[in-house]
Amino acid sequence: MVTRPDRDGDQQLRLLDDAWDKASQHWHDGMARQFEGGHWTPLLRESRGYLEGLRKLMDMLDAAERDTEG
Amino acid sequence: MKRSGVTSVHADIDALKGLHEALIRYRHAQREVAGRGEEEIKVVRASLEAKASRWRAQLEQCQAELGACQERAAQAAAGSAADGPAADGPAAGGDPVDCSGCARAVEQCRERLEQIRRWQQRIDAQASEFQGPASRFGDLLENDLPRTEEHLLALIRSLEAARRVQAPGA
Repeated sequence: MVTRPDRDGDQQLRLLDDAWDKASQHWHDGMARQFEGGHWTPLLRESRGYLEGLRKLMDMLDAAERDTEG
Repeated sequence: MKRSGVTSVHADIDALKGLHEALIRYRHAQREVAGRGEEEIKVVRASLEAKASRWRAQLEQCQAELGACQERAAQAAAGSAADGPAADGPAAGGDPVDCSGCARAVEQCRERLEQIRRWQQRIDAQASEFQGPASRFGDLLENDLPRTEEHLLALIRSLEAARRVQAPGA
């Protein structure tokens, strides 16, 4: 069964978040904080914004298809 | 876990390598997600257009049938008026012609077309709103993420180099 792209995208973000959790358990210095502020946080913000927009759009496409069937 | 003590980066190299690999996988997987999202929009837009096209054809046919029906009704009414009232029952022009079914069919086609048009407008508006985040995300995947991966790789290499220096005296 083909899953919706937004759900696959959410799953990919969870996997990346897990990898970050593992790495950050061993990484607490200034470089880690710099990486978190300069790379990780913007990545998370843009990813979430995109996936939220994609979810809304996919919901609408599904609803449009259902509503215009027949 | 060993700490190098030589470098200010106190990180477990394997964990950072794991994060680096996860970032690469993420970039590829999300590119595919974004591509599928765009494709899905195209597919549904095409599907709505095909449905609208079918309903337009149906509307034309129903309108033609309604026109023919109304013509028959007018002829029947004219015939009936010319004959005058019959003494022994129904009008001599024949049975009255009922076009209400055709009129309902025309109305239904118009409603379905209007419904599709509203969905098309809503999708256009939502897709337009989505353009900003989609463009920023595309930029993240094509430019920012590769830089992040490079940055992390440089950290990993500096850690490995520091450990190699440390190793002989360790």
